Amino acid sequence: MSAATVIRSTRIIGDPEATLRPSAGLEPQTIALETEHLSRSVLGRILVSDISVHVQPGEVLAVVGPSGAGKSSFLRLLNRLDEPTGGTVRLNGQDYRELAPRELRRRVGMVMQVAHLFPGTVAANLAFGPRQNGENLSSDQIAALLERVGLPGYQERDVSNLSGGEAQRVSLARTLANAPEALLLDEPTSALDDVSARGIEELVLSIIRERQMTCVIVTHNTVQAHRIADRTMILEAGKLVTIGPTKEVLRDR
Amino acid sequence: MIAELLNNLHSDIAMGVAQAAGAIVLCAAVVLVCRRFAVHVERETAISLVRGLVQMVLVGMVLAVLLHGNLLVGVLILLAMTFAAAVTAARRAQDIKGSLLLSFYAIAAGSGVVIAGMLVTGTLTADIAVLVPVGSMIIANAMNACAQAVERFRADVTAHVGQIEAGLALGADPGVTVAPYVQSAVYASLLPRLDMLKSLGLVWIPGVMAGMMVSGASPVYAGIYQFVIVAMILAASGVAGLIVTLLMRARVFSAAAQLTLRSAEQHQPPPYRLAKSMPNPS
Repeated sequence: MSAATVIRSTRIIGDPEATLRPSAGLEPQTIALETEHLSRSVLGRILVSDISVHVQPGEVLAVVGPSGAGKSSFLRLLNRLDEPTGGTVRLNGQDYRELAPRELRRRVGMVMQVAHLFPGTVAANLAFGPRQNGENLSSDQIAALLERVGLPGYQERDVSNLSGGEAQRVSLARTLANAPEALLLDEPTSALDDVSARGIEELVLSIIRERQMTCVIVTHNTVQAHRIADRTMILEAGKLVTIGPTKEVLRDR
Repeated sequence: MIAELLNNLHSDIAMGVAQAAGAIVLCAAVVLVCRRFAVHVERETAISLVRGLVQMVLVGMVLAVLLHGNLLVGVLILLAMTFAAAVTAARRAQDIKGSLLLSFYAIAAGSGVVIAGMLVTGTLTADIAVLVPVGSMIIANAMNACAQAVERFRADVTAHVGQIEAGLALGADPGVTVAPYVQSAVYASLLPRLDMLKSLGLVWIPGVMAGMMVSGASPVYAGIYQFVIVAMILAASGVAGLIVTLLMRARVFSAAAQLTLRSAEQHQPPPYRLAKSMPNPS
């Protein structure tokens, strides 16, 4: 097994103990995300307007704002699920339009509001991403990923029999299976009950801290932003209202 | 003798008009029944009936003039029919750029390959009186297959935007993310033709066979020939359904592998989904 494979396997599986010792283990591959005058409008309606922000490697940035503020639209531009109508995004200084979209999306993983699992088993869902890159996850790697998201022994479960919380955990594990360098989270707990939501939140927090992943999370829950994010930006009508340390930005909210 | 011919012609037309009137009355009755269940198809049915009747009368007149034309005339007529079929099929995909051209390519490829094959093998003669009616059957079925494939693919893609984008977000090739919907679209386009083939002779005896028997052909040969025609219809439909779906697949993604086909509602998602209409308990 090559050193690169060892590194990748470790990154995929994660190390639960690393939560307790963030500096332990391999140097994580993490990236800086930067938006430059990022804008998008559809049919004359402005969804995202001239947003320039910089997310440091390993930093967690929360995007908050009222419904229709453009939070999800902003997030979808970061892995180019939608095309900007103005501006661009840079990954470690490189314009993301210089990357093949498929490579970009493997490096910048995304967990959506609804899990959107593929019909079949949990294991098949986890293996999907790496297989698109010609890699096969071993059963040990799948087992370890499921262990990490709190679903040990779920490999052969049919996804149609999962609860909302379990489905979202599988969705997170499926994204992590690609060993992304940055993680985009689009209100990953908004469709869940309080207990499941808190469980997912704690799981996400522990994983992004242990991997020191660059993370952008959209949330309408300012309490959640307080718990997770180093910095927070507020959007209104597609425009950046303010950005700064979470405690300062959300002080009066 | 001419007077006798005209008399016969007039009596044929008079009988045809009476039969058409009877058919229209029956359709109107069905429309009234639908109306009772709040299914309003009055306008569309009226337009379709008038269009269908006028078109068939015109085609009859044109065929009467062209009946003794050569192969080139026959090919031109079939091309015109293919274009008209493409216009009809493309209505199912108005939100897809170039849908008319996609439909034309698919129908022309499906029916063209099959008609050419039949001409080469001698299954179909170049006689315009045979070529045009048989060709039109193949084109019409290729059109239906094309429309059914387009409709199914469009409906499946817009209903599974989340799953498709989840696949894209995991670095999948766009073709992989819509593969299940390509399969179901092609299958949906073939299914009616497969049923048609299965029920051949049991549920229906198609017009070609009936016409041949009336003209004095052996019933067994007429039956076999009809089977050949329906099998060719299946082949043409398969090619048309497959080609239009593959062409559509390429059109629903941008060059940057972004899904561009959404329903109008999905372009600007509201926090809730609207039902199609208010359920009416009555």
